[in-house]
Amino acid sequence: MAKKALKYLLPVVVVVLLAINSVYFKKLNEVKASAIKQFNATAYARNYIDQQLLSAAGKAPETDQLLDQLKNKPDSTFKLYSHALDIGNIRFFMTKGQGTVTSIDDNNIYLLTPNKQTIKIATEYIFGNALRDAPGIISINDFTNTMDLNNVSAEINKIIRTDVTPPFKSKVKKGSNVIFAGAFELNQQHINLNNIEIIPVSLKITN
Amino acid sequence: MMRYLKILLLLVWAFAGCKNRPDTAKQKKMAIIVSTLNNPWFVYLAQTAAAQAKTLGYESKIFDSQNNTALETDHFENAIASGYSAILFNPTDANGSVVNVLKAKKANVPVFCMDREVNTVDGATSQILSDSYSGSVSVGKFFVQTMHKKGNYVELLGLVADNNTWSRSKGFHSLVDYYPGLKMVAQQSADFDRNKAMEVMESILQAHPNVDAVFCGNDAMAMGAYQALVAAGKANRVKVFGFDGAEDVVQAIKENKISATGMQFPKVMAQTAANYADEYFKGKRDFPKKIPVAVELVTTDNINDYIAYGKKD
Repeated sequence: MAKKALKYLLPVVVVVLLAINSVYFKKLNEVKASAIKQFNATAYARNYIDQQLLSAAGKAPETDQLLDQLKNKPDSTFKLYSHALDIGNIRFFMTKGQGTVTSIDDNNIYLLTPNKQTIKIATEYIFGNALRDAPGIISINDFTNTMDLNNVSAEINKIIRTDVTPPFKSKVKKGSNVIFAGAFELNQQHINLNNIEIIPVSLKITN
Repeated sequence: MMRYLKILLLLVWAFAGCKNRPDTAKQKKMAIIVSTLNNPWFVYLAQTAAAQAKTLGYESKIFDSQNNTALETDHFENAIASGYSAILFNPTDANGSVVNVLKAKKANVPVFCMDREVNTVDGATSQILSDSYSGSVSVGKFFVQTMHKKGNYVELLGLVADNNTWSRSKGFHSLVDYYPGLKMVAQQSADFDRNKAMEVMESILQAHPNVDAVFCGNDAMAMGAYQALVAAGKANRVKVFGFDGAEDVVQAIKENKISATGMQFPKVMAQTAANYADEYFKGKRDFPKKIPVAVELVTTDNINDYIAYGKKD
């Protein structure tokens, strides 16, 4: 009798044990949170700006000199100073400089540099990959998910739009002297130096 | 003595075989499998890949998947069975095409994706892809500037299973959504197809007659939307934005019918894929898993710098 009971009980115990060990429950919010944790673009962007971008901006070529070199020796200047994660004609440069504000509109401020060149600093359209790509620090091989890479640009730009441009826009006026650092995009096959738009990483009014 | 002679002859034969190996390598073939040949953009992509393969000294054959993953599977099986040594691949479906890529990998046939990606990191040897997201950010910026930050607009999406559809949409919205004055009154898929886009746009215009702009996930849909606007007598008032750099849209931008497009470079992608396959045959193995190719904004201001599918030299 006991042997017969054991014969039926044993498979039941095995099935119950397998079932218990095969099924587990997790809270949905914990699963969602762990999915989000995979890559934190906001934290990455903040760390990148603080630890790498500002330092790269400090070592960037002066805008006046860079523009002169682009006019006179475009090929070697692209080779020496530009970077991009994409292959193709779009390249990015880091630069720094100073100038006097000559005009302000809804989207930009315009500066006259010591070499009498007019440059445009974006205050509204802070978008694109200029600040991500220009220093040449981030490698495409560090990212297996393309959207993570896109989100890095979006988050860098968001930080600049939140922390850098609003306090600057509230104080800047025509005649202000400004020290700036940032990045700009240039098409190496059709170079147009008249429409350069610098995406700022730092902006400081000195008077 | 006879035994040594046999061994010697065997060695001579083996070394002779080694000498002939480069000639065998020359006989390698590339299969070019594309999602559809019903769109001139993909015809150009496929033909450029075939031309580059020929330049490098390889035979190639183009297979048309007709946007059908089952047909695509047949093409992969045929290519593997017929002894093709590499597949230059434009996938039909980011998820649905994964199984085909893995099948090729199992058969030791490298796959190089062109323009569209598959949702696996390990399947393809390398994926050479348009940077659709960043290109759409550029189109989105021009869209906001052209619309002066306000108006009602429609978005026509491509194939919902294709990653490019969402990369373009997300890139566009990553910028446009900052401007509350721009209201998206309708968002519908037209499968990257010109005729379908015309039908979808016609029905949208009946529900939303006060549309100011249309953003389309490719140029074929932009031309379809434009045709619907012409039929409704609204073509002069509603601005149309596309993506691709197709021949008819380049012409339409010159004629002020279409406002802008994101120019992709199928030639760069197709040639890079064929070059990578050649390098693979020669022993290279460390390829970047994904290579984005820059997309350039084309408007009436710079249209003279461009031709269909690329830039003037």
